[in-house]
Amino acid sequence: MEFVDYLQAVTDGVMQGAYYALIGIGFTLIFGVMNKINLAYAAAAFGGAYASLGIAALIGSGDDFGLPPLLMFLASAVAAGLFAWIVYTICFRFTPDHYELATLMATVGAFFLIEEIAVHATDGEPMDFPEVLQGIIEDPMIEFSDAFAIRGDLLTIFLLALIAMAVLLLLLYRTKLGLATRAVAQQRTAAQLCGISVDRTNASTFIIAGVLGGLAGAMIGAAVGVLSPLLFVPLTVKGLIVTVIGGLGSIPGAIVAGLLVGGLENVFLALRGITERDMYVMLLLFLFLAFRPQGLFGKKVLRD
Amino acid sequence: MKHQIMFVAAAALAFAGTQSAAVSADREVHVAGFGAKSGVVRSFGVNTEAVMRAAAEKINNEGGIKLGDGTKGKVVVTFYDDRCKAEEGISVVRRIASGKAVVAIGPTCSNVAEPLFGVLQKRAGDASDTGLQFPIFTDTAIKGGLAKISEWAFRNVPNESQMYQSLFKWVKKENPGFKSVFGGVEEDFAHSRFTWYKVMETRAQEAGFKVLGRVKWLLNDTNFTTQVRQMKKAKADVIAISSHPFTLCGVLKEMKRQRVKYKQLIGLTSSSSLETLRGCSKQAKGIIIPTSFAPVTAAAKEAAAGAAKFNGSADLHSAAAWENMFILKGVIEKTGVMAKGDTVQADRRKIRDGLAALKSTGGLIGGIQRTKEGEAVKPYVYVHAQGKEWKILHDPRK
Repeated sequence: MEFVDYLQAVTDGVMQGAYYALIGIGFTLIFGVMNKINLAYAAAAFGGAYASLGIAALIGSGDDFGLPPLLMFLASAVAAGLFAWIVYTICFRFTPDHYELATLMATVGAFFLIEEIAVHATDGEPMDFPEVLQGIIEDPMIEFSDAFAIRGDLLTIFLLALIAMAVLLLLLYRTKLGLATRAVAQQRTAAQLCGISVDRTNASTFIIAGVLGGLAGAMIGAAVGVLSPLLFVPLTVKGLIVTVIGGLGSIPGAIVAGLLVGGLENVFLALRGITERDMYVMLLLFLFLAFRPQGLFGKKVLRD
Repeated sequence: MKHQIMFVAAAALAFAGTQSAAVSADREVHVAGFGAKSGVVRSFGVNTEAVMRAAAEKINNEGGIKLGDGTKGKVVVTFYDDRCKAEEGISVVRRIASGKAVVAIGPTCSNVAEPLFGVLQKRAGDASDTGLQFPIFTDTAIKGGLAKISEWAFRNVPNESQMYQSLFKWVKKENPGFKSVFGGVEEDFAHSRFTWYKVMETRAQEAGFKVLGRVKWLLNDTNFTTQVRQMKKAKADVIAISSHPFTLCGVLKEMKRQRVKYKQLIGLTSSSSLETLRGCSKQAKGIIIPTSFAPVTAAAKEAAAGAAKFNGSADLHSAAAWENMFILKGVIEKTGVMAKGDTVQADRRKIRDGLAALKSTGGLIGGIQRTKEGEAVKPYVYVHAQGKEWKILHDPRK
């Protein structure tokens, strides 16, 4: 392979890393506020994408999706926000706060429940999902040379993801809701003493994370062109890897780690082939856990 | 008085006869089905179950199955989910074998079939072998040569090696100018991997094609850009893709985005299903796939309609369950199965022996030859995707 091939692989990978970053942000946001992992997060995100397909199918007919792709993204975000709130209510709101394994196992159950609902609703079949520029630009490939090109649809998804991340940061650092979220994340009891409702803040965090996840689910559907329950497990794993590498609780970390993992994954694929690609990604995870367990931007973890 | 006695005796005989008829009407031949009904391969189990129930309904509506004592019994189908997992498949079959079923149709996945056949008795009648003595007649699991594992295992699945040998030869004959083939393989799925490396690649070379290379991806990949760029660079005349519908659709969409040029596209047998058309009918247009089922005969059309009635679809895999049901009906009638509570194990042995003795059977699109190893040699046609349907492109028998 020539240099331009690696450049192409990195470019494609970094753009796809944008949706890894969104999934990672969802995990890290919830962990940051509640200090707990929501393993059903990516499943709820894809639940949103499936719901948008369902809504589009109700409105449209035949090959017509019934909704423009960007409205499907919106529908997916709203539906995933709703699913995230349901997951919060079932798995976190009423489970014992001091027993962390209870919420973890509850989210594992929620993951499989959502996955199996998607399987039963579609018989596990791949569902056609519209590309983001469908109906706007027929051939979105931007070719710079025979050897280097950028997918216009993927570039659009990348830019949309960056906008979503910017909106999230604005929400967290420029609004009262963001202030409350950060206060609960930093010192829960103090936040409560200041009159902040922890329960309402937690629920809001789940909904915000769910909306981001719904966008990511629709983006992945649009990038691949197909939705399938096969995506649930690998994207959950990718999201967790991104969260650990970025640093648990760090949103900038999740953004950087998402793009990094996406880019490196494609380089590993180009260098070592498909059968070794994931091995190197996992090796990267182990290296971080061993030598920098706080991740790229997380708080330093002291060893016992 | 004598007349009265005669009348009472006649009435008693008539009553006894009625009772006897009632018993025979209640006789049931239990046939179990098993396959994946959860997880991403759920559609396989759903379709097989629909086809089995449709076939059972037809058999029962036509009077049922003639049993060894001349009475008629009705077919009762029970379907179990093995989740496409080996340990669950084995557990399900052990449960089936502990009940009234005289035979089972399944499983969906080759990774279930292979270990499952391993727990069956290897040689029928071998007293030193305590393996499970229960006949299994597979409709879907397609990996080559599995039935030889046990004399209790039989399969009615197509021979992919023969199908692709014929297909590549036909493509070459129709298009002598086509020189090269490039492959795409779903590397982590037993069937797709086996079919590329052991079947497609070698059969393409035998037909006179130069295989320029192959690219690989995994079953749950979301990114095919790098692989498709390699595919584009190869500039092959024929692109052969050995993968299941989800990644097939992802790859076909990426090929369209990257404007990959090819003269012919060939797909994996398992992709000749509605799944592919639901996922990417536009991009799959023109792809040729050999299949052992297409609704080309009256019987095949009836099977397809029956499957639809039970919310399934008849395809390459599930349609075999229809054939299996009618083959079993013939075997049960020929071997004198009794379908009584105390004859279950003897009935199972009769069915096994009956299946082993078959040299040929009927099939939905033509006669099927049976091999000594318990495998089938099935007729096939080439279909291509046209809109939301698979249409017959060529029938090699003509």
